[in-house]
Amino acid sequence: MQLKKIKGRMAVATCALLQATSPMASAAGSEWDVDTSFLYYGEADGRVQAFEPAIHAGRALGDDDRIELRLVADALTGATPNGAYAIDGVAQTFTTPSGNSSYTIAPGEQPLDDTFHDTRIALGADYTQSLDRMSRIIWGANLSTEYDYLALGVSANYARDFNNRNTTLNIGLGFNNDSVDPEGGVPTEFAPMKVADTGKNVSGDSETKTITDLMIGVTQVVNRKTIVQLNLTLGSVSGYQNDPYKIVTVTADPATGLPVNGTDPSFFDSGVTGNLPYVYEKRPDSRQKNILFFKAMHHLEEDVVDFSYRYYSDDWGINSHTLGLKYRYQLADSYLQPQVRYYSQSAADFYRHNLVLGSDIDVSGNVLVDYASHDYRLAESETITLGLKYGMPMANDSEFSVRAGLITQSVNDGAVPAGQETPDLDAMMLQVNYSFVW
Amino acid sequence: MKKLQSSRLQLKHEAGYWQGHFFAMASPCEVLMEVDDKKQAARILEAVSAEALRIEKKFSRYRDDNIVFKINHAEGAAVSVDDETARLIDFADQLTRMSEGLFDITSGVLRKVWKFDGSDRVPKASAVNVVLQHIGWSKVQWHDQVLRMPAGMEIDLGGIGKEYAVDRCVQIARGLTTASVLVNFGGDLATTGERRNGASWSVGRLVTGKDNAVALFKLYRGAIATSGDAHRFLMKEGVRYSHVLNPQTGWSVPGAPHTVSVAAPTCVEAGMMSTMAMLQGVQAEEFLKLQEVDYWLD
Repeated sequence: MQLKKIKGRMAVATCALLQATSPMASAAGSEWDVDTSFLYYGEADGRVQAFEPAIHAGRALGDDDRIELRLVADALTGATPNGAYAIDGVAQTFTTPSGNSSYTIAPGEQPLDDTFHDTRIALGADYTQSLDRMSRIIWGANLSTEYDYLALGVSANYARDFNNRNTTLNIGLGFNNDSVDPEGGVPTEFAPMKVADTGKNVSGDSETKTITDLMIGVTQVVNRKTIVQLNLTLGSVSGYQNDPYKIVTVTADPATGLPVNGTDPSFFDSGVTGNLPYVYEKRPDSRQKNILFFKAMHHLEEDVVDFSYRYYSDDWGINSHTLGLKYRYQLADSYLQPQVRYYSQSAADFYRHNLVLGSDIDVSGNVLVDYASHDYRLAESETITLGLKYGMPMANDSEFSVRAGLITQSVNDGAVPAGQETPDLDAMMLQVNYSFVW
Repeated sequence: MKKLQSSRLQLKHEAGYWQGHFFAMASPCEVLMEVDDKKQAARILEAVSAEALRIEKKFSRYRDDNIVFKINHAEGAAVSVDDETARLIDFADQLTRMSEGLFDITSGVLRKVWKFDGSDRVPKASAVNVVLQHIGWSKVQWHDQVLRMPAGMEIDLGGIGKEYAVDRCVQIARGLTTASVLVNFGGDLATTGERRNGASWSVGRLVTGKDNAVALFKLYRGAIATSGDAHRFLMKEGVRYSHVLNPQTGWSVPGAPHTVSVAAPTCVEAGMMSTMAMLQGVQAEEFLKLQEVDYWLD
């Protein structure tokens, strides 16, 4: 037999036996597992670009407890759809969120607000508190801040192992309180966008919403090679859920979709009233969500297959299915992981291409529908993501990996006049990751 | 003056310390305490002996009322064990991995065919092979404090128990006094810390082949444990069969030293290191050098 040096392992094992900490053991426990990454996300046609550096560090505290800390910074630039749609032959002028300036979109072009820019900082911490050999509670706290948005959250997750640790039951409760402080004030729901410098229709400075999530899940080791996980999440959001920067076009004729103009009844006569033919969107102030998530991982001889399925439904009428498949090819000293993800969702009940003057909104500006939004994220859509990750384990438990992905999203607008469809969105992402023990 | 609760405890005063004696775990046990007050010495001695007897009662394989008996007579059924037993089994499991199977708490059944009485009665290969079927930690399922072992197999924690008892007693003594205490259970010993004025504890070690001659160590801190027994062997056709048995072959390890002593921070580490060295046979000394520990070997 090859002689091996076992003194260090013996000291660690003895510490566990005697439940005392020796200098050796505390040295081993003082290591941080650090994960650093840099993500670039870019949408085609000058839309959103994001640069996101992140650092995540975790370490054991004592025998069983653990702390995890996260810091993520996002820098976003580019332009984002404002909710109006492209119209052939008609240039459209909009007021920026501040209400002080305007921008004009060329005929046939998708209306994008290029004043969109933001920096987000997110901090998070989790503390795993071991209750006994079989159960633990993970306490979590997070904070995310942008110039117009602040999110604060706390969570508690209880996990208990059963059945020779082959089964783990999780019960989690999360609570978030978010506040939004939109540029130029909170726009009045369904109020018209005004010509620049004529006074924005606002209902206040800020709004809040609360999110409560209850999660119950089970993870089961099926055999030495297969592990499955099933989670059910019930979520409830109450409070302000509008996108304060999104508008809905008002048309007099659904067949053409052309915005109302000065020759139409005077409420939207921008030359007289200053009211542009767009109103700020309005969404319900409550949303109940159900999410079912299933994941299975199977180890082949060397490779690993990872399959996941997520079903989402809410009382806004959105149902979605997400299918994910990853296959990890083990190479000699590294691995290659192709991934594919398919996402499909139905439209929200109140997703509207436009509001029709006369039937949805009367000549005095009274809106006759409860809610309306033309946010493409609430439309019927399909998204396909193709990705490839290459990982290279290195000395001292460190690993370098790089991941690239191509994302294509197509929106089904239903029957809308030609030229007014929501264009497909193409994006790419590139992530570089380095993890190490410190 | 407080009377000692049990007559099996003996206490006498030596130069600068109290010396207590009792018998446990088939060994003479000694506790040296650098305290002035006899009552305090008695209190420490009582606590140490109580812990030694508790551990002996709980883990001895010669009793029929403990967890080891329950495991060894479960006939293949799963047995749920308490935290302390789980830690000992976890530790044994680690040692088995570290030694690539040379250390194995299921190897005790080999004593059914090997009787180290100085005779020439080396067992037949066929007899060894029969017993070997009931050996192997890999045949045991051990998860979450539940152990399931095939019928006919046995575990024996005796190879860890005495050293574990020494370290537990040292922890207890540390809770009772800041003075230096030395706990010595049949040659496996540890101290709670250094003596006053830089003095050392003198510890005897039996030297083989010299008619029970004793070599003296000076021990300032830490622990020393000894494996091996110069009097347990078989001799046949000029070949000496040591009592160190390889659980994978069922045979005596060739070239194992008579005894190995190792110094380490704890008695468990010292004891396990010396046991591991014995199992290396002719490579024992090479193994000890690689570990960078202080050792004595003959």
